Amino acid sequence: MIVEIGHIFLIGALVVSFIAGFSPLLRFLTKDNFYYMVIGPMNNLVCLFIFLSFISLIYSFLVDDFSVAYIANNSNTLLPTYYKFAATWGAHEGSLLLWIFCLCLWSTTYFFLNRKKDEEFVALTLSVLNQIIFAFIAFTIFTSNPFERILPVVPIEGADLNPLLQDFAFTIHPPLLYLGYSGLAVPFALSLSALISKKIDSVWAREARPWSLLSSGFLTLGIALGSWWAYYELGWGGWWFWDPVENAAFVPWLISVAMFHSLIVTEKRGIYKNWSILLSILAFAASILGTFLVRSGILTSVHVFALDPERGVFILAIFSYFILGSLIFYSFLNNKLPGRSTYNLSSKEFGFLLNNILLVILALSIMFGTLFPLIYEALNDGDQISVGAPYYEILILPFALALSILQGVGLYLSWSSTKQFNFLNRVAIESFSIFVILSLLVFFVFGTLSWGTFLAIAMFSWIFSGNLVDAAYQSTQLQELKSILIKRFGMISAHLGTAFLILGVGIVTTFSLERDVVLQKGESYKLGSTHFIFKEIQEAKRLNYSFQSADIEIREEGLIDQISPEKRNYLSSNQVMTEAAIKPTLLQDYYVTLGEQVGDGTWTFKLQIKPFIRWIWFGAILIALGTFVSSYRYVKRL
Amino acid sequence: MVAAAVFCALLFGTAMAAFLVFKGLSENINLFYSPSDLKKEKISVDSPIRVGGMVKKDSINREKNSLRISFVITDFEEDLLITYEGILPDLFSEEAGIVAKGKINEEGIFIANEVLAKHDENYMPPEVAKTLKDKK
Repeated sequence: MIVEIGHIFLIGALVVSFIAGFSPLLRFLTKDNFYYMVIGPMNNLVCLFIFLSFISLIYSFLVDDFSVAYIANNSNTLLPTYYKFAATWGAHEGSLLLWIFCLCLWSTTYFFLNRKKDEEFVALTLSVLNQIIFAFIAFTIFTSNPFERILPVVPIEGADLNPLLQDFAFTIHPPLLYLGYSGLAVPFALSLSALISKKIDSVWAREARPWSLLSSGFLTLGIALGSWWAYYELGWGGWWFWDPVENAAFVPWLISVAMFHSLIVTEKRGIYKNWSILLSILAFAASILGTFLVRSGILTSVHVFALDPERGVFILAIFSYFILGSLIFYSFLNNKLPGRSTYNLSSKEFGFLLNNILLVILALSIMFGTLFPLIYEALNDGDQISVGAPYYEILILPFALALSILQGVGLYLSWSSTKQFNFLNRVAIESFSIFVILSLLVFFVFGTLSWGTFLAIAMFSWIFSGNLVDAAYQSTQLQELKSILIKRFGMISAHLGTAFLILGVGIVTTFSLERDVVLQKGESYKLGSTHFIFKEIQEAKRLNYSFQSADIEIREEGLIDQISPEKRNYLSSNQVMTEAAIKPTLLQDYYVTLGEQVGDGTWTFKLQIKPFIRWIWFGAILIALGTFVSSYRYVKRL
Repeated sequence: MVAAAVFCALLFGTAMAAFLVFKGLSENINLFYSPSDLKKEKISVDSPIRVGGMVKKDSINREKNSLRISFVITDFEEDLLITYEGILPDLFSEEAGIVAKGKINEEGIFIANEVLAKHDENYMPPEVAKTLKDKK
């Protein structure tokens, strides 16, 4: 019964979002402003319907209603209650519903923040958002319906949620990522609305900016959480694999970062308007592509299209409608007037331009690498290839370097033209001092240095001094420093975040130690300066799995600890899963995975030491914090 | 002046990206082969490739007290012997679809440096699924 109610609410939302999405056409025909006024309330009704529909799906998961195909495939009576709840978005169908719900939250928030503003503009924006909601609901209902029943034979037991996904980080990873993806629809809708009502100006840029910042922030958190989850859950100790699924989130992130930087120039100087609009379209295109690529499995092979043509065609239709449609609008309605302001090569404007060129070219190149296997397969008669991680590593390095250089000096450039260049000396001296100190510290801790580390430390020092140290140096009074820090908190936090992230990546890639070993009970292995001692192994059972766990003692100067990696056997799916044990410290993680028994009391282990890995996620948190603080400032001023 | 600089920046950025994309792709494409493909085609001994198929029943041979393991994969037409040293992924087992990265040696034995068996039990690596479907 609840399932039918949820289904009906979903259909209700489909109908209402259609009316809300296309009622500007009625306004256009009748010139009656009534058709604008109804869009807001209808938008909220859609949000309510989707919320209720989502709740009923969650409820059905909690009560183990296996007559629903989606639940039977992704849940199980043995599953702990919390994971039954999270299993709602454990696969394609439910995660689409979550995506739609996230978008509804955005559109409703937009409505409440802007309900007293320009009626036409707000109505147009909401109608674009509702067209998107409509398209996604239609896709859900017609190709991936989570409420579909399997009748008449109802299975007694469900197939279970993939054990890898039975984890806390996983449960909040998709909602964060989807908030980021779907949030990019708001600047997109604002752009279309501005194009149609011919209001592409500073006000529009100021309105679009917080939404692009928020989407970026949520994408940052979602991506970081995914990376952290992969690190401790997959048991390989990797934190980024350049997997298509990861790239699908990284590309929209890069474009959204380019967008909120470009919007600063549009807001402050009234230029780059067309570029900002184009970026918002590109960002939303990347977001749709990302959303569908992740769960539909198309990236693994073009054959998925052939196996499931309905979904493929539907996706193409949605993509073409919104992206080609908006590009056509753009080409007819874009701002033909040249920008008022003039600037030269030493200006802040030019700095932002370089930032945007770098970010967008990087994003497109990553996208190309991700889609290349599909192109290759189509052109070469089904021959299959994969693009290895080194492709992306070679690619990203020069871009990261150039962006870091810009990040360190961008603050000091003036609009239009920079007259004074003495900041260059200061930043150079400050960053060089930090560079020397840090290099010595790293050398002292790890005993060696490499080009990669030098480069990472140099980038870190440059960004760090350009954004923080110099502000301190320049302020004659503490009061002054405080006000600068408060005023620029968002930016400083985000920029320092990238600095910490770069440092972490540089050090973890150069100084990680890894070894597969065979150990007998009581035996020890020395990796770097750390002893790993295999103490004991035992077997036991928990709620929905049985497991073996080994006790490993870690001994190092000033540190003795014991950790227990596990090997689990999930009862319902008979699936084996290793659960790595990690001992985190500020400077490095000790990481042990249990392998297999290869003799009497003899087991294989993977031992790893991962220096500075936590700094990567710490950096990401700082970036997200920066975007949230900055967007809050804008929202407050709305 | 600015327009020229913008043009140069764009040109330079695109050229850099194109160079890196080209270089990156030419060096980092891993072609995929099924055991039958390997019988048909001559593969140079040095180039890293990916192979895939189903692990044959009773073919897993683990050396005692060591990380060395060997097993045979099949596409139901031809077989391929693979050796590997290290810890295998959780889902590696008899009759599971796997993909291995590595090189083939002069005796036609595949020396893997990475073995992948993907996430869930229903999931076959797509290349393997395709190979098996073609041959069945």
